[in-house]
Amino acid sequence: MAFDQEKDEFKVVGTRPDRPDGIDKVTGRARFGADATAPGMLHAVIIRSPHAHARIVKIDTSKAEAAHGVKAVVTRADFAEGLDGENWNILENLMAGERALYDGHAVAAIAATSSLAARDAARMLEVEYEVLPHVTDVDKAMQEGAPVIREGAADGSVPAGMHPNVVRCHDSGHGDPEDGFAEADLVIEERFTTEATHQGYIEPHACLGTLGPDGRGELWCCTQGHWNVQKVCAALLDIETSKLRVTASEIGGGFGGKTAVFIEPVALALSRKANRPVKLVMPRADVFRATGPTASTSMDVKIGMKKDGTITGASGEFRCQGGAFPGAPMEFTAMCAFAPYALKHVHQVGYDVMTNRPKQAAYRAPGSPMAAFAVESVIDELCNRLGLDPIDVRLKNASREGTKANFGPSWDRIGLVETLEAAKEHPHFSAPLAEGAGRGISCGFWFNHAGETAVQLALSEDGTVQLSVGTPDIGGSRASMCMMAAEELGIPYEDVRTTIADTATLGYNEISHGSRVTYASGLATIEAARDTVKKLCKRAAAKWGIDAEAVEWRDGCAIPSGPNAGDFDPMPIKEIARDMGKTGGPIVGHFEATPEGAGVSFATHIVDAEVDRETGATTITRYTVVQDAGKAIHPSYVEGQYQGGAAQGIGWALNEEYVYDDDGRLQNAGFLDYRIPVASDLPMIDTVIVEVPNPGHPYGVRGVGETSICPPLAAIANAVSNAAGVRMQDLPMRPSRILEALKAGS
Amino acid sequence: MREIAFLLNGEPVELCDVPVTRTLLDWLREDRGLTGTKEGCNEGDCGACTVMVSDGSGTRTLNSCILFLPQLHGKAVRTVEGVSGPDGSLHPVQQAMVRHHGSQCGFCTPGFVVSMACAHKNGMHDFDVQLAGNLCRCTGYAPIVRAAEDAASEPVPDWIAEDGTLPAAFATASDGGVSGIAPESADELAALYVAHPDAVLVAGATDVGLAVTKALQEPERFLFLGGIQDLNAIDVGPKAVRIGAMATLSEIGDAIADLHPSLGELIRRFGSVQVRNAATIGGNIANGSPVGDLPPALIALGARLHLRRGNDRRDLPLEDFFLDYGVQDRAPGEFVEAVSFPRQTDRLRCYKLSKRFDQDISAVCGCFSIRVRNGRVNEARVAFGGMAAIPTRARHVENALSGQEWSETAIRAARDAWGQDFTPLTDLRASTAYRLDSARNMLTRAFLDDQGTDTNVLEVAP
Ligand SMILES: Cc1cc2nc3c(=O)[nH]c(=O)nc-3n(C[C@H](O)[C@H](O)[C@H](O)COP(=O)(O)OP(=O)(O)OC[C@H]3O[C@@H](n4cnc5c(N)ncnc54)[C@H](O)[C@@H]3O)c2cc1C
Ligand code: FES
Ligand code: FES
Repeated sequence: MAFDQEKDEFKVVGTRPDRPDGIDKVTGRARFGADATAPGMLHAVIIRSPHAHARIVKIDTSKAEAAHGVKAVVTRADFAEGLDGENWNILENLMAGERALYDGHAVAAIAATSSLAARDAARMLEVEYEVLPHVTDVDKAMQEGAPVIREGAADGSVPAGMHPNVVRCHDSGHGDPEDGFAEADLVIEERFTTEATHQGYIEPHACLGTLGPDGRGELWCCTQGHWNVQKVCAALLDIETSKLRVTASEIGGGFGGKTAVFIEPVALALSRKANRPVKLVMPRADVFRATGPTASTSMDVKIGMKKDGTITGASGEFRCQGGAFPGAPMEFTAMCAFAPYALKHVHQVGYDVMTNRPKQAAYRAPGSPMAAFAVESVIDELCNRLGLDPIDVRLKNASREGTKANFGPSWDRIGLVETLEAAKEHPHFSAPLAEGAGRGISCGFWFNHAGETAVQLALSEDGTVQLSVGTPDIGGSRASMCMMAAEELGIPYEDVRTTIADTATLGYNEISHGSRVTYASGLATIEAARDTVKKLCKRAAAKWGIDAEAVEWRDGCAIPSGPNAGDFDPMPIKEIARDMGKTGGPIVGHFEATPEGAGVSFATHIVDAEVDRETGATTITRYTVVQDAGKAIHPSYVEGQYQGGAAQGIGWALNEEYVYDDDGRLQNAGFLDYRIPVASDLPMIDTVIVEVPNPGHPYGVRGVGETSICPPLAAIANAVSNAAGVRMQDLPMRPSRILEALKAGS
Repeated sequence: MREIAFLLNGEPVELCDVPVTRTLLDWLREDRGLTGTKEGCNEGDCGACTVMVSDGSGTRTLNSCILFLPQLHGKAVRTVEGVSGPDGSLHPVQQAMVRHHGSQCGFCTPGFVVSMACAHKNGMHDFDVQLAGNLCRCTGYAPIVRAAEDAASEPVPDWIAEDGTLPAAFATASDGGVSGIAPESADELAALYVAHPDAVLVAGATDVGLAVTKALQEPERFLFLGGIQDLNAIDVGPKAVRIGAMATLSEIGDAIADLHPSLGELIRRFGSVQVRNAATIGGNIANGSPVGDLPPALIALGARLHLRRGNDRRDLPLEDFFLDYGVQDRAPGEFVEAVSFPRQTDRLRCYKLSKRFDQDISAVCGCFSIRVRNGRVNEARVAFGGMAAIPTRARHVENALSGQEWSETAIRAARDAWGQDFTPLTDLRASTAYRLDSARNMLTRAFLDDQGTDTNVLEVAP
């Protein structure tokens, strides 16, 4: 499974073929979560708390149950009891128990014969609340006297004396930053904050579920990981995992937000009660109120630097608010913060803080972008004040193969230096700046993940190939899988069809998260293809009557090789396939493993911004992403990930935010008031693919999906700060905030 | 029962007994099984539900999630399924989207494909504008814009071109279908509305659509104004400009941009193409919104509003129509027939502040018409949206400017008047201080613009 040094010539990998599902996507034929129907299907709605924090005194379902068309009403009582750990958290989040913990927290659900009937019945459901004090701000939630979200939620990692809302703590580093600061010529310490943002996938969560009285069920849903959905639904509904078959629909964006389970168990619980299929589609407002925002943060970062640019010491405290549940990704925030730098003295602490907000969900490199914002802003300020070049300083301190990471291990082969060098050489970095414009650069880091993976490759009688993978395709991965299989088998790309298998037809696959798909399913595809090749060679050997070892696979054909192999014409895959019924039966290759070698990835971004000094408005005029992909299988989709991450970062940095009023209600639960960038907000984002092979993948692939969102917040903040002449320390940098900063600065 | 007839992807459809507030999107997806058209928001914000609608006056994109079936009577509708040919051959924009890898997840793709096909048919190449009503979260738009550029030079396929000609013949064949709820003349509307003053008028439905789909409003009766032939004229006369209530923002933009370029620019930033193609001037005024974009501009132009109830007509200065938040000077059964304003040398400057350049509601919209004679302010008309509960004239500012030398002096003279005119709210779009500051800054801009300094707020994305 290690990097195949020999494999330096690719025929298919690195080209840019049309994706196999391209036509489905442009014609409307592709079927997403809400596009499925079933005979007798009911439509469901979820009733949600209008309060940020309230005791649920009573739920009277009788009138709603009696309403026209209503077939089932469920509340918490309809789910499994006695759960613990994360399953309990998931259940508590998707159907409130004793208390509603945030504005939008589900309290009941109704299934009726039409969506109108369900909506009308929802108004007849009577819920009596006793409103409790609430807190939505991360710093306030840690202060004495703040309402406690859940007593006893803290684990042993939290130092004594902290507020019960602080539920987990991460502490790591080496050396002593104070020693480092003492050596520095300049030390800067600043506080930074970021607001919660939403992944903002355009497809709302949707599913269609059937669960019979015999505990057997079928579920169709848009998810990044259907085996996970299967497991969670089984636990929450107290049924056996294998009795529920889950099929992943096409998925209309996830970015981490569809790794979590929000509605599927509810649809199944309604179906079980009504004994009919139930369709549940989230309205957009519910998507904002009750799914996936990222953590909001408050961070203190202190860095010391010598006049020559050497970073002598660094420390940071990262407080992450993850809603009314444990799980804010503060350990990632802390660990990613200083990852780009080889430091003698470094210390990072993270706190996971609970508030009356929706349960945070992963969002593209969860926790890392905020950390980069704080750290890279301080580095930029140090460079400005010491009159140093921002790329040279980063190069000087950059993490390299063999240096010790801020969180412990030594780095394997990594590509940070290469991205910095490529950025430095890029014409963007040396292009003259318009007056009043500013340039910002930033590095970013993400771990990447591998995870449990199973792949199967079956040969058809005509020599074409059906590849089954278990990782939902969130950005064109089927094309990459087809390419890797074609590369190994030596057949045309068009001869491979990749399908996302359902839970009944393939072994367990972890979620499509952690930028793992092209790495892990790719690796498994290559190994499954190699397994197939072995079988193909064996069939050829049998036909020829020679040893299997004497057969080699080249360009889609078995060929005799070695001294005693004899002289036979190459036997093409089509011929072996045609006869396979007679030569030993179906030919199927497969691979199952939990690979370990997901290579980490680094990026460097360059941004130019202009700030309008009268309105405080920012325009991003130029944007360049430089990132290490290890090996780009389909370069267009790698570029797509680079551009997509940068675009989301631009929204996060400038405009997007969760706005809560004094009552703890979300004020902007819609796309009209939660502003994601449109075409006219963005420049054509330029990309540079750097390829420093990952030693843990046969072709050198590293995950690319998440790292692209790590540098933008910082790079844009640096550009804006340099343009405005004031350091922006709070995100988003909306116009009013910039105008205030300009006023205060002048 | 009443019948609604239209063409769907080239095939005639006749509907009886459908609820009049069924949206095209729900009907397509649930009744027709045409699930290519997507629902991303159901609020007109994302464009995933975009369809093409043609009638005698052309082909335009609309958001099908805020479009009621009766609004389609006599028109030709094309969904993503009909963008490719009857034999399955791909439209040039579809081919280009595949070739340029314009989809990542692909959920936004059908909406983009329809917007692109419509722009392609109409020969529009300003893709930042044409595509601003379609959200994509995956791609950063670059490959989509490249695909649109690439397809631009290809010919319009026959099946798309047909939509422009077929409906005329088709509409006559289905004449008189939607009786009682879709008047065809202003007279008919006047009579119906007097008889049913509790009916809700539906113009472009970009506001009403939301109210209904969110069940904020469940009225008994609707009157659809889309079929009225004599309410959408835009008449640019020698003395006055008169705009019928049913003129859409797109039509007004086309007709007015030469007379008042700044208003043209303001309209260009009103919602998105899909919204402008539906939204009418009548709806923008009658909804009484404090942040409607047209009223401040029209007030600055000295507009009068023409109202009609039965056969009684009256008109009043537009600013007097807005009485208080949610309250207008409109009697039961009375409707907006038109707006008019004097033909004048262009002195209008409009500034819209919002978080995003496109597809955003104004935090502050300020419009100025300042006439200068001999270096002094002769007449000032200043009106704002977003600064009060209703669109408001800044009379104190106007008075303070009046007679002043048109220079920094005038701006200084008006300094305190702003506080007398306005005590704006703090809300999620802006704070009190930001609103007041920017309103003041807008006057400075108006002055600088006048001096020819190139600082147009409309060219910067706030
Ligand atoms: C995504 C989106 C973006 C938007 N962006 C903007 C923006 O940038 N700027 C802005 O100002 N607005 C914006 N709007 C609001 C809306 O589009 C406008 O107010 C629009 O002009 C309303 O016109 P309509 O024809 O759609 O009205 P409708 O929704 O049909 O009607 C609105 C109201 O006016 C009444 N009405 C309509 N016509 C008449 C008449 N002739 N006489 C009496 N009453 C009548 C209706 O009964 C209803 O109460 C946006 C809306 C959406 C959904
Ligand atoms: S579904 Fe979003 S605009 Fe219609
Ligand atoms: S491709 Fe996913 S939203 Fe556009």
